Amino acid sequence: MAHAGIKSSYSYLWDYLQGCTQARLPAVILLSFVLAVGFLLVILSCALWSNWLPLLVALTFVLAPLPNALFARCGGDDFSTEYDGSGPVDLGRFITASVVVTGFALPLVLAHSEVITRGACVMSIAGGALVYGTILAYSQTFKEESDYE
Amino acid sequence: MSLPRSNYDPRRVCINPFPSITLGKHRRTIGIYLAGGLFALANWTFLDAAILSAHAHPPYNEPQVPPPVHVTFLDWLPGICSLLGMLVINLIDKDRVQGHEDFGDARAVWRARLFLFIGFALMAGGLAGSVTVLVLKYILHHYAEQYTYYGYANVSQNVALMLSSIVLWISQSVSTEYEYTLSI
Repeated sequence: MAHAGIKSSYSYLWDYLQGCTQARLPAVILLSFVLAVGFLLVILSCALWSNWLPLLVALTFVLAPLPNALFARCGGDDFSTEYDGSGPVDLGRFITASVVVTGFALPLVLAHSEVITRGACVMSIAGGALVYGTILAYSQTFKEESDYE
Repeated sequence: MSLPRSNYDPRRVCINPFPSITLGKHRRTIGIYLAGGLFALANWTFLDAAILSAHAHPPYNEPQVPPPVHVTFLDWLPGICSLLGMLVINLIDKDRVQGHEDFGDARAVWRARLFLFIGFALMAGGLAGSVTVLVLKYILHHYAEQYTYYGYANVSQNVALMLSSIVLWISQSVSTEYEYTLSI
């Protein structure tokens, strides 16, 4: 009985969330909130130990979608298939993947050589992942919106 | 996906000698992302060793003993070789290597294969050099595990660079074949 109640409340929540994504505005507010939490985590991981190296992680994750966005314009319009064999697009994807891995690897390396503490490492990775996830989700919703119109 | 003609084409020498992996529609994208990730992972593995060596402190039970070995320029050389080899391999036009004579004269094909050979030789040289550094600099001197880690990181950097370039090559050549069938 209680189970069904929880389930129905979940479905109610799900409907509410779907309504939010239809309306777009609360989704944008939610995303900006998550972005703020991510930056808060990264800055906290720097300020708590007064070692400002983890700030590089935020910079890395902010710069991560940039190559894809730049080189996507260079994609061939001749065939206009999605996995079209175009060099610049491939280069952009390659650089994006390596920058994302850099963002995860940098705090681990710094923590391994005891430049930053383990807590700062975990916090900066979590914050950077939140920032990057926000950027990805935002571009996804933006793309969907352009699909509608 | 491939036409029967391209399967028994006698001119095929170097195209796609690997088993064709089907990851669905986005296999080219997945392969390229994977290659980029492996590339960064390789370099960070070695940079981890270098940074660890720069920040190395003596063991806690005997604080007067300095660390016996450091990462020097010798350790960087195999990685630089592998990077150069990867660059050379990826700069080659893959249609040239496949040996379509209608694309150009036979000398161009020959030159492309020569440069491909140079690239693969650089990569293999980097891998062999990293193993050499591991054995000669770290294992033969019987250092502690904390220091032989530098050598193992060097080897894994070169292995991951080679894997990255292989994945890149496969994902690009698979798509080339697909495009080839499209154009016919």
